[in-house]
Amino acid sequence: MSEDLKEEMKKLKEEMANLKEQLRDMTEKERERRHGIHIDIGNRVQDYVEDVMEGVAEGIHGELEKSIFIGPRGVRIIRGEEPFGEEGEPEISLPKAAEVMSALGQEHRLGVLKELMSGGKYINELQEKLSEITTSTLSSHLKVLEEAGLVVQEKVRGRYLITMPGRVAYKMARRLTKFLERRKEE
Amino acid sequence: MIWAKYKLDNTVARASEEIRLWHTEKGLVEISKNTLAVSVRLNEKRKGYVFHGQGKLLIDAIVETQEGAIGKSIEKELIEPFLLLGDTERIQKDLVETSESDFEKMGYKSRQGFVDKAEDLCERFFRGRVHSHEDFDEPHGLIFAFQNENSKFDILVASSSKLVYKATDVVFVSNENKVVLKSPGEVVVSDNGKSVVVQKGRSVLIK
Repeated sequence: MSEDLKEEMKKLKEEMANLKEQLRDMTEKERERRHGIHIDIGNRVQDYVEDVMEGVAEGIHGELEKSIFIGPRGVRIIRGEEPFGEEGEPEISLPKAAEVMSALGQEHRLGVLKELMSGGKYINELQEKLSEITTSTLSSHLKVLEEAGLVVQEKVRGRYLITMPGRVAYKMARRLTKFLERRKEE
Repeated sequence: MIWAKYKLDNTVARASEEIRLWHTEKGLVEISKNTLAVSVRLNEKRKGYVFHGQGKLLIDAIVETQEGAIGKSIEKELIEPFLLLGDTERIQKDLVETSESDFEKMGYKSRQGFVDKAEDLCERFFRGRVHSHEDFDEPHGLIFAFQNENSKFDILVASSSKLVYKATDVVFVSNENKVVLKSPGEVVVSDNGKSVVVQKGRSVLIK
């Protein structure tokens, strides 16, 4: 096992220990201090909430174990990418890919993603940044981005947030554009 | 079991207008005008209500991470009776007397039909779940029990800005900057922008 991987494993274990500690804080310590989510309607309900948190913690451990592969060549940690088999990257559904690319293929929709990269925004905040289009046009663009899974709206507050795939898509568009521009210059 | 001694009030009321039973920036529970309400009492003190009408549950079960948002909003129409335990004093002023037609509108033949259904809900919720109630005279929050399609309960526990929501396929815990989301095939734990995302066979550490 390389030193890098050993270090990676060590860090991951430390993070898990910290997060487990924080999970415990959210239940037991809050209850002890009596100013958190403590609701005194009986021990069984408190037990129920603790069981839920315990279940979540076990789920994390279980999934993390699946993510750390120990094989003849040592330890491999899969972080942020899917492991592919010998056939390489699997084929994608072209209509689905076209749908995603179509959501990206509009200047103002890319503009919305760019604005959301710095944090969640209300529609009026987006409108200020994209003043050249009307509110109804902006709403239509947001709907397309939501349907493609690139943006999600908080229904209570109404803010729009960029999703993980949304960030990946925006970065991909930016890199591809830069790459093609450089090629042209060459 | 102390909660076996609970009883439902003799009088049934209805909402004179739309009432927000709970509302924070992460979610809300509201009932519409004319929703039926019967109070749940223990030792002669009001501990909550069973409601039946048109209601709405909204929870933004979304975790913001440095690499993008994960999760979605949960939106449910509350058309089945549900239970609320906790401090309900502030909604008293919005509850008024009922007439026979109010029960008919909700599909009951009489007042007793609604009371029987509320009784059944309480029985199923309290049985084996709550055995004591120390300190409940000074409740610190709200507990909602919504019947789900499997005839079990989706539970929402809320206290100021903190909440725990547990449904069939999702667990969402939000405590200021600490958030946990467990949905099918995915677990996200986030604390002050530092997150761990665990998906099937894959984990991502975001700092």
